[in-house]
Amino acid sequence: MTRPVHDELPEKLQQALNKGLLKRLPITFQPLTHQQLREWDVLFPYERQSIVRLLLYLADLNEQQFAELFREVVQLEEKMGVRSWQFSTEEQTILNASQLARSRYYQDWRKAVRKVFDAAEQHGESEKSAGAVGNRLILMILPQVLQLEREKVWEKWQGIGRPVRLDLAMSRETQSAAEALLSAGEGGRLLEVMSHRPNASAADTWVLDAGASLVDCALRQTPSGSSAPTALLLSNERLNKLRQNFSREVNTMRKDLADADAVFDRLRKADVTGWCPPEVASVPVIREFLRSLYLSGNGALIFSNSFVEWSASEAFRRARPSFVMAQFGVRSMPKPFTSVAVFENPDEVNPLPAVDDLPGSALDAQMLALYVWLAASRYDEYLRNTVCLCIAESLSEAYVVAPPEFALWHETEPVTLDRLRTTLIRWLA
Amino acid sequence: MTTESPSLSYNLAMDCSPRWKPTGDSTLRIIPAGPKATIDRSKRDFLRAAIALLAGLNLPTTSLAGGGRHGVGGSGQRVVMVIFGGVRRAETFSPQGLVNIPHLSGDLLSQSLFYRDARNEGVTAHFNAVSSILTGNWQRVDDWGKLAPTTPTLFEQFRKGLGAAQSDTWVVASNKALTSLIGASSAMDYGPAYGANVVFPKQLMIAAVVNALRTGRSRNMADREKVQTELQSMLEAGNYEGLGWSVFDGTERLDPRVRDTITEAIATFARGGGPTSGDELTFLVGREVMRKFSPRLLVVILSDVEAAHFGSYAMHLGGIRTGDRLCYQMWQEIQANPDYRDKTTLVILPEFGRDPDGSSTNGFFNHRGDTESTRNTWMMALGTAVDKPRIIERPIRHVDVCASLAALLGCPPMDTQGVRLSELRV
Repeated sequence: MTRPVHDELPEKLQQALNKGLLKRLPITFQPLTHQQLREWDVLFPYERQSIVRLLLYLADLNEQQFAELFREVVQLEEKMGVRSWQFSTEEQTILNASQLARSRYYQDWRKAVRKVFDAAEQHGESEKSAGAVGNRLILMILPQVLQLEREKVWEKWQGIGRPVRLDLAMSRETQSAAEALLSAGEGGRLLEVMSHRPNASAADTWVLDAGASLVDCALRQTPSGSSAPTALLLSNERLNKLRQNFSREVNTMRKDLADADAVFDRLRKADVTGWCPPEVASVPVIREFLRSLYLSGNGALIFSNSFVEWSASEAFRRARPSFVMAQFGVRSMPKPFTSVAVFENPDEVNPLPAVDDLPGSALDAQMLALYVWLAASRYDEYLRNTVCLCIAESLSEAYVVAPPEFALWHETEPVTLDRLRTTLIRWLA
Repeated sequence: MTTESPSLSYNLAMDCSPRWKPTGDSTLRIIPAGPKATIDRSKRDFLRAAIALLAGLNLPTTSLAGGGRHGVGGSGQRVVMVIFGGVRRAETFSPQGLVNIPHLSGDLLSQSLFYRDARNEGVTAHFNAVSSILTGNWQRVDDWGKLAPTTPTLFEQFRKGLGAAQSDTWVVASNKALTSLIGASSAMDYGPAYGANVVFPKQLMIAAVVNALRTGRSRNMADREKVQTELQSMLEAGNYEGLGWSVFDGTERLDPRVRDTITEAIATFARGGGPTSGDELTFLVGREVMRKFSPRLLVVILSDVEAAHFGSYAMHLGGIRTGDRLCYQMWQEIQANPDYRDKTTLVILPEFGRDPDGSSTNGFFNHRGDTESTRNTWMMALGTAVDKPRIIERPIRHVDVCASLAALLGCPPMDTQGVRLSELRV
């Protein structure tokens, strides 16, 4: 199933594969590795670097070192009896995950696997820091429509940052704070700044939108006729067609692991290009990102705010972007008697008009904004030189987590949008 | 694993309060200020809240006299267990979580035997978690309920050991991750012949929604009267196996008494003007089962909290509040129903917690982590098995529940990994 060694693979890695590296891997390491190599063309640059680092590290080990590194994993595989399972070595399946998870040795196995990755990471640490990029920014917006309580809104952040007052007066008359921040000002535009960085890649900048206004705004800024995208733009609203087609397929699934894998397999192979808006259809890596995002659950198919949070989390894990801008939004209340059929399109299931759940959406967004930051802060890259700024439009306030050198860290006066935009542009530049 | 902590002291000086100390039997008394606190902050925070709640306690409130009818064999006692889905301590029995559980913390805690640390040490997935509670052994079978538990359930032990009828044992469940196999094991000499009746009212509702959509009658779902008709027609369409039900061995025809029971619950659900979630219907069916069949062993499994899987924290908290209210309503039903009053123990526990904020498994969305937040929850017991309301500090395990309930029901001892909880009076 693993396709023949690619031309695109780095030469050293190619050589290691030719020498049979994959066959030496423990059985439970094989599905992910095979899958990643097969999907090489649609991996983000960071993912490619990671797998190259891991496999070259393994290839450089002598027999004894290799055996020692995997000793615990192999022993646990034997105890678990993995070889007697119906276990795919070619790709990660639900059946694989289910068999592992119910083994009494599952947690030990996870720890042993973690140790292997840690060893590889430690080995590649010097290489990683050599290629380190500049400052990073996570900019989140809780839009005006979400009514928040000033006393409670930042409670769950447990004092890791501080609130900064904003002066949003100008934006209220014309456009949202988010759009104002994306627009041109002193020092240029936020998205332009990113594209001018050395070795700039689209995967370094993500705009995630529970609705469509933010991505529409970003699209208006994209120079017409430009061939390569400068940012990855994901709008939940603009992805309606893709989401509905995915949901329809997922709904055909019977309560059976084999059937779930069959449905997932179908969705993995389906040509989704026609279901995607142009900014996604034309970028294979983001098309495939969405496919795997929707297949990994976590509400991305159901609720727009979950889509934003889970997209951001997966972006941090897989691409380590330098700039993520995420805008949350509003979901409807569950309709009577249909909350159980949450996978169904509620408007099809019940003709009663949809009613916005504003308090519920506000609570969801507050929690998920924190989760976006927590997802980033799991990675070393975001522990230094990173500003996280979450704007509560309805409160004219932002919560800032930043290093002390960030210009607004000590600010006590209300900050205008112009000043905020300029400060953020300078931070990223 | 089972040590009491009689020497713990809790420093409430920050609140300008006297210090409190649990005595050897874990009842709470005021003691003079002592040395520094010896427990971690989360425990202390919880206890602050719990102590505040227990301050107005009237001890004891339960009657020593069972006064109940004794069935064929056994103790004459009844057991109702409500299993709650996955909820973290943070959203329930913690200072910030109490707001979500006003009935559990305000109305029921002061009457209860409250196990502060109830641990799921097995697979933290629904089918395995529930079947571990019901068998007293950590189960590691198919997550989606394609395989029965491998050791006998409490239902089988009760029916086989004491000759109880099938109508005496029921599971009424919301969670779609369960199947009828939750009612009986694959153990030799046991199995479905001794299993419980299992019904999934929420599946009936889903089937009605899907059927209305398929046949172009989705407008009916906007009209309560027509919703009742849709649910009723689904009930009468047969295919109970397709709904995951296993009731008196009928897969195509429903026992008329069962049909009447469900019909009654549907009518209340659809036309009562109350909330319309799956757990609501599950509760109403459970209550009707109590009124019509008066089972000696009833397990109700709620799952509205599982909206967390889709990332809505607000809906997850809504599910907790619904569960909290339904637990209280169940207790009220036990008090009001002469078949249950003064001879019933109500046990309430979550299947597990959920993953902690910031975990790689996306926090409250899931319950896959090997963390305290995921494994460690609580359990509450009310009713005749409770001698004296109190908080039990020592950790217990979910597999301990089965052996304890078996003893309450008068079953012969079961071969389980769990041990009987000595605080529950048999």
